[in-house]
Amino acid sequence: MLFLILALLSGVVGGLIVAAIPESRERLRNLIVILFTALGTLSCWVVGISAFSGQSIMLVGHIAGFTFSLGPDPLGALFGIIASSLWMFAAVYSFGYMSEKKRHRTYFTFFLLSFSVTLGVAFSGNLIVLYLFYELLTFTTYPLVIHERTPEAVKAGKKYFLYSLSGAGAILVAVVFTYSMSGNLSFSDKPILAGSVDPRLNWLLVLFIVGFGVKAAIMPLHRWLPSAMVAPTPVSALLHAVAVVYSGVYGVLRVIYSVFGHELISQLSFGRVLPWIAAFTILVGVIIATRQDILKRRLAYHTISQLSYILLGAFTLQPLGLAGAMLHMISYSILKVALFFSAGIISEQTGETEISKMIGVGWSLPKTMTIFGVASLGMIGMLPLNTFWSKYYLMQGGVEGGRWQVAVVLICSGIVNAFCFIPTVVDAFRGKRTEGVLNKERGKRLFLMLTPTAILAVVAIFIGLWPGSVWPGVEAVVDWFF
Amino acid sequence: MLFLTLIAVPLLGAIVTLIKRDSKANISLLVSAIVLVVGIVGFKDVFTGTPATFEMALPGPFAPTFQADPLTAIFVILTCFVWLAVSMYTPKYMKHEGGEKRFKLCALLTLSSILGVFTSGDLFTLLLFFEIMTVTSYFWVIHKWDNDAISAGYYYLFYSIIGGLLVVLGAVLLYSASDSTLVIGESVTVTDSRMFAWAIGLLIAGFGTKAGMFPLHSWLPRAHSAAPTPGSALLSGLIIKVGIYGLIRSVQFVGWGNALEIGTSRLGPALAVLGVCTMLVGTVLALFQSHAKRLLAYSSVSQMGYIILGLGTSLYLGQDGGLGLLGAIYHVVNHALFKATLFMGIGIIYIKTNELDLYKMGGLLRRFPITAALMFVAVLGIIGAPGLNGYVSKTVLHHGVTLAAETGAGWAIWAERLFLVTGVGTATYFAKLYYLIFLKGSEKATCKSTDIRTEKASSANQVQHGEKEVRHGKSTGMHIGMGILVVTMLVIGISPKLFPDVSGAVATQGLGINNAIESLGALTYWNFSDISGMVITLALGVFFCWLGLKSGLFSLRLPVWISTKCISSSVQRLVSAISKRGARFYSSASKLVSKVSRSAHSRLFNYSKSRAFTIFGTKVAGIGADATLLIVVLTLLIVWYTLIDPGLPVLEYMKLVS
Repeated sequence: MLFLILALLSGVVGGLIVAAIPESRERLRNLIVILFTALGTLSCWVVGISAFSGQSIMLVGHIAGFTFSLGPDPLGALFGIIASSLWMFAAVYSFGYMSEKKRHRTYFTFFLLSFSVTLGVAFSGNLIVLYLFYELLTFTTYPLVIHERTPEAVKAGKKYFLYSLSGAGAILVAVVFTYSMSGNLSFSDKPILAGSVDPRLNWLLVLFIVGFGVKAAIMPLHRWLPSAMVAPTPVSALLHAVAVVYSGVYGVLRVIYSVFGHELISQLSFGRVLPWIAAFTILVGVIIATRQDILKRRLAYHTISQLSYILLGAFTLQPLGLAGAMLHMISYSILKVALFFSAGIISEQTGETEISKMIGVGWSLPKTMTIFGVASLGMIGMLPLNTFWSKYYLMQGGVEGGRWQVAVVLICSGIVNAFCFIPTVVDAFRGKRTEGVLNKERGKRLFLMLTPTAILAVVAIFIGLWPGSVWPGVEAVVDWFF
Repeated sequence: MLFLTLIAVPLLGAIVTLIKRDSKANISLLVSAIVLVVGIVGFKDVFTGTPATFEMALPGPFAPTFQADPLTAIFVILTCFVWLAVSMYTPKYMKHEGGEKRFKLCALLTLSSILGVFTSGDLFTLLLFFEIMTVTSYFWVIHKWDNDAISAGYYYLFYSIIGGLLVVLGAVLLYSASDSTLVIGESVTVTDSRMFAWAIGLLIAGFGTKAGMFPLHSWLPRAHSAAPTPGSALLSGLIIKVGIYGLIRSVQFVGWGNALEIGTSRLGPALAVLGVCTMLVGTVLALFQSHAKRLLAYSSVSQMGYIILGLGTSLYLGQDGGLGLLGAIYHVVNHALFKATLFMGIGIIYIKTNELDLYKMGGLLRRFPITAALMFVAVLGIIGAPGLNGYVSKTVLHHGVTLAAETGAGWAIWAERLFLVTGVGTATYFAKLYYLIFLKGSEKATCKSTDIRTEKASSANQVQHGEKEVRHGKSTGMHIGMGILVVTMLVIGISPKLFPDVSGAVATQGLGINNAIESLGALTYWNFSDISGMVITLALGVFFCWLGLKSGLFSLRLPVWISTKCISSSVQRLVSAISKRGARFYSSASKLVSKVSRSAHSRLFNYSKSRAFTIFGTKVAGIGADATLLIVVLTLLIVWYTLIDPGLPVLEYMKLVS
């Protein structure tokens, strides 16, 4: 209980303190940021591990006739642990990245506030709380997206705002209808709508999927994500490859498994369409990604594709598919953050953002490009990287559910992924290394940026070699819902 | 423990290489010697019928498992042995090429992973090492780091990645279609025979890519000729054998003899036909090559065809297919020996003359007598001259194919005929290779090589001086490396029964052919018909070689449209056309969507531009975007449920909303 409150409040308190510190006190601010992030992360792990072992922690309050409950089940705990752990890495990376940028105070204030709100999404115990935090997340991340304050950034921010709020609107409607049908909104191991039979449930599902699908970037609703890449790199990495988009994915998973339940979804006609929407997003997303020349945009479209892996796993409605989705949630976020961090280092150290101009940058940034290469292999789904396991379980889930096409789609996506990233890495080392090339991986700033990136790559390989290290969490989620 | 030693020793070597700067010690040689001893001592008992297994006790879905049956033991010992020979050869050669440390590091990592592949006990462990091997051996292919090497590297990497992914897909289907737990060597009960056939087909395609099986072979000649010679020798000698190993293991899931029951009776013939195609394609393309390493690489493709054919016929014959399977395993061993030797020989000539074009060489017999002698044995071996190892394995394979042909199956009869044709073709192109390098009139060639020298001398005196030393240095270490392999070839050739008696028959039995030891024990290698057949083949080969050189047939180039480059570029063009169309469609569709959404957007949100409108007397301009959308959606839903589909009492909804 204490740790749950600590996890949720550390970001808010830290954010408020940071807001009070003057712009010039950089060291103090960094200290507070890392302290409160670490505190939140630690509490998250404690809460999460107790949730995996079956203890339920609940925080319930009744305000104005509504029940607000906070209490993680295994799914929420897993999301919380992923998000908070990566927040630590992003915090350290931010210290390096932001040290040559402006408006630190604003940045770190909202950085910490978003931390709290993301954990709020993760630990929400019923639909109303989920909706509230989901909505709040848009507000706390908006200042981060427009951090550069360029016209382009403001425009992207507007787009992000409109897309997210429209989605949230749809969710609110759906929540109201759900309440009218079942009279209950809190998540438990039994789905909210279990047992009800009503053809209008299809429409309810559409509303939910559209609402959460905006942040999960399901294909027709994805346009905000690539333009939101104008944000500073740690923000892009964390919010737009992990926290924000994952809150959408988490919402979809909640809808499928906690609101409807896999048995009900399998009876709905729209439920049968869902895997194909995800499959479409996977393939089209990655194909568009190969056509992008700006590295961050390529990564953004690639994010869209990879998020649908998780959704696809959930939509197969199989235990193995859900296990794959959970594994992918863990594995993908690690590798994608590493990819984004590398992209940030490249653009900061060489000034290149376009892939066609990155020929030969590997000689001045050898470690960065090696990490980038390792992460690219992971995106294809090669051992010894962790994404192999998630991909394997996703395919297995698809085949077990009677849809072998799912496996084929994932294989094709893997092949396109190879064409998407491998040439970038090889080109980076093209040309002879000359004596004059400076090694640009020196200095404190780069140390702060490179260390988290390297650790993430090592963690990815470790999980790949021993998937059992994350298996208890995955198993707990699957057991919870099946 | 034994298994971990096998994998860890090369890894340790790699770490030492990484830490120690400019060490003169040949770590690779030391490591392969240790591993060879460990392999022989450790796997001694395996041949007498006690398979070894080892499981790492890790909780969770995946814990690496290791196993060793006689097949594994054969592959491991072969690998260590060839690696030892190549390690003797490497330092001298790489001094010429440059980047010794990089090469050594990759070689050690590759050795570790290749041993991992052969000893792995389940498909996941196998895949783990398989993928690591792909990445580390990729650095051999791009070693030269020029545009050719990089493009060859792309071929290698992409084909390998796709192959790996196909294997994964095969594993997924295999798991679902049977009670298999993906453990190597297990017998499976099939629940869905159609999916099972697909699974095996995908596994074969995946591993076949690595083995250079037609039509997935086109990466092989490029990659093998782009790598530095020790790399080529190992790639052609051993890495493609990993593909063959995978093929044998995937076929083992089907098992020998119950193909009819589980509906995979067409698998054997299909594999055999693919094998024949691989043989023919490799041979035909090798005939027209002028680049020495490419010729050898195409020859590798063709020889892999022999092995795949043997495997296919044995699968077709089921329990009677011992000969085909033994022939395949036997040929794996022999091919590793002679192909490594041949590449090493070409490498010696290359570092001294800087020439790989066959038509620009010639008369080198006097300059390279030892190399010529060693390569002569290897050439005789690969074309199957009686008394050498190639003859033995080809005879066994031929017996296997004949056995299949006796059942009267049409494909088998043709396979038997084409087997002989390929034999002639092999003899032809190797006669051409040997003639053009060593025997052809020398005056033009020496003139050419002096040309190079004078050119070099004029351009950079310094460099020439350095190179001269290398050129005139002794190549004893390199010759010893080749010599070890040649001696082994002679031993196998003279006592052909040694290998089957010690290990081959046991391995065949271990794979599931129950009566293998007895039936293979009765095999005779020295009979008149086989020997005379081989001699006729060789004679025909030499004759056709003479004919081809005389008539200039060998310098013919295949029509452009046949070349894989052309086909791939046309495929590329097709894909790009489709994607361009798709992109155009996408952009027009997205333009339409954005147009609609923009107009909707401007109608909804640009209140200031006198677009404010009222709904039921409420001025929308004062309400936020979120609420506007909410109202629109709610209105639509209320209209739907009140007017169009009044399912539930409207009042309840209204109450809730308020």
